[in-house]
Amino acid sequence: MSGKSRRDFLKKSALVGAGIAGLSTSSAKAGPKNILSEDRMGVLVDTTVCIGCRQCEWACKEAHDLPAGDLESYKNREVFDNMRRPDHTALTVVNEYSPGKSSNLPVDVKVQCMHCDHPACVSACIVGAFTKHENGAVTWDTDMCIGCRYCMAACPFQIPAFEYDKALNPKIMKCDFCYDRTKEGKLPACVSICPVEALTYGTRTELVKIARERIKKDPDRYVDHIYGEYEVGGTSWMYLTSKDFAELDFPKLGNNPAPGVSESIQHGIFAYFVPPVSLYALLGGIMWMTKRRKELDEEEKL
Amino acid sequence: MMKKIISLLLVLFITITIQAQQSPGKDHSKLKVDCSTCHICDVPTKSDPCLIQCPREKITTVYQKPEQTPELITIDQLSDRYGPVYFSHKIHAQMSEMSGGCETCHHHNTSGPILKCSTCHSSTRKRDNVSVPDLKAAYHRQCMDCHREWSHDNGCNTCHTLKKDLKNGKQDPNLQKKYAGKNHPVVLEPTKLVYETNSDKGKIVTFYHDDHTKKFGLKCTTCHKQESCTKCHDVNRKDNKQPIKVITKRTFEEQHKNCISCHKKTENCSKCHSNKVLEPFDHAKKTGWPLNKYHINLSCVKCHGSAQPYKKVDNKCLSCHKSWFDGKFKHSVTGLQLDEIHIELSCDDCHSDNNFAVKPTCSSCHDDYSYPKQKPGKVIGKK
Repeated sequence: MSGKSRRDFLKKSALVGAGIAGLSTSSAKAGPKNILSEDRMGVLVDTTVCIGCRQCEWACKEAHDLPAGDLESYKNREVFDNMRRPDHTALTVVNEYSPGKSSNLPVDVKVQCMHCDHPACVSACIVGAFTKHENGAVTWDTDMCIGCRYCMAACPFQIPAFEYDKALNPKIMKCDFCYDRTKEGKLPACVSICPVEALTYGTRTELVKIARERIKKDPDRYVDHIYGEYEVGGTSWMYLTSKDFAELDFPKLGNNPAPGVSESIQHGIFAYFVPPVSLYALLGGIMWMTKRRKELDEEEKL
Repeated sequence: MMKKIISLLLVLFITITIQAQQSPGKDHSKLKVDCSTCHICDVPTKSDPCLIQCPREKITTVYQKPEQTPELITIDQLSDRYGPVYFSHKIHAQMSEMSGGCETCHHHNTSGPILKCSTCHSSTRKRDNVSVPDLKAAYHRQCMDCHREWSHDNGCNTCHTLKKDLKNGKQDPNLQKKYAGKNHPVVLEPTKLVYETNSDKGKIVTFYHDDHTKKFGLKCTTCHKQESCTKCHDVNRKDNKQPIKVITKRTFEEQHKNCISCHKKTENCSKCHSNKVLEPFDHAKKTGWPLNKYHINLSCVKCHGSAQPYKKVDNKCLSCHKSWFDGKFKHSVTGLQLDEIHIELSCDDCHSDNNFAVKPTCSSCHDDYSYPKQKPGKVIGKK
């Protein structure tokens, strides 16, 4: 992917460890990316249009070399009996909910990585394996990943999955916004196959405009909210629905970027050298106590 | 004469429409019509207006009767995994009569010719303008809302056949025949509907559906504007024997919208709301005039006119039957065939003051005759 490997990382960290203060890893990176460029792409998911055919699930697996099975088998609707989450075998899944307002039809919701504008996984990854690209995609480098699963803990949507069943070299897996396909000028696999174009691929700016237009045109059909427009500082994937987002298992999130939360926790703990200082103070205290006890013991013996 | 006037007006209208299409006039860009309805390019100029080729000699408006529309349309433009789709247009047009009508699908045909879907909906998904769905999505979205509602699944195979299942790569010719001459079954009308509401003015609302359609002469579409197929086709539909519980979040106005167009808002609630099931409309009870077997089958508008409030009429025959004058009235329908002499008389010679409700009199000619002792003809009995 980005050409970085675990070796590079170890080399880098060794350099930093041995080096003088002030020299940082960031100096090794190329010029800063314009990750919030006006042209960054996104997908608008209109759940009022989605028919729950699950062809996106099949297309996603095909595009990512995962065992996909026969497309015809995806017509089985019994899978909707249980709520599913994306995992290492399926990077996107569709769940079905009871009908919303102004329709007798069930609401189908596709779940995958939201590709945040300010991704918490990127900021949480201690080896810098995650990257936010200018086209909106958030990808990761499997070769750099050390499997710490910080990204899983940091993600406000609980998207990154882990190959728990693999003893050797388990990998982190998630939707990569079909980074390899879009690089070649193709559409993301799921967008390409959707028979009703419930998934609209376009620049994020335009998608927000389209979403607003749809709500304005048909206020009875939609809840007046574009999920992902502002949530956690904005996401590349955005949703329109006919019922309350909370009822569709969308997490209620603030508008502050998620890294803010994880970073403030991490930075808070490590601020002003508090942990090392307190650790040394504790160790020093224990040493002093044992030394003193020893002295007392020896005094008693005498 | 009337026919002539109507056809003249029609010709005039069509000429105006053609004229209007040829030159929509100054400032027509300010009209609330999407430019792409007529122009193919983004910036039409006077020298190159890049107009869409319309079949001008054959103007079809969207207000055609379903029966006049094409029976079958083959959709094969996007054929990929599946073979071509045979779309039974006529039946669908008939089905749409109680919902949005033709405009449900032909939504940008304000007037003028039917536009092809592909005029606005691109056949490629990767495109610059993503504000309107592409062709594949546009087709599917039209179908899926209804098909999902009444079949409860996505049923691709209802319309599609996988290419590998096609014999010699061709669609089964019998499938085409399947739709030939087929019509949507006649919609069965309910007679009485009992609603249980949460109104404090009387919980039960009895709605006599056939009174409203047959007697009061309402058209289906007066009330049924956006009807869903599941109203009839839902497999889980409950029978209507129990009162239908009305649980609604709609406002008072929305809930009463269909009724209020005729029943004035100021009317008494108890006209419809009661604590028991109400009797149907009874002309005898309301007006004191029980309708005979001829009048009972008439719709109200036949006598009372279609304007609201209804025109009051008296029970004098001649108020309505203005042509029933001397010699034109077939007296035998009353059960009494007049003899050769009496048939020549004027009505009011026997029915004084043309009042047919009271006993006829013979005294203007005969001194001691009286009806029904003596009869002016032969009793044949009512038909």
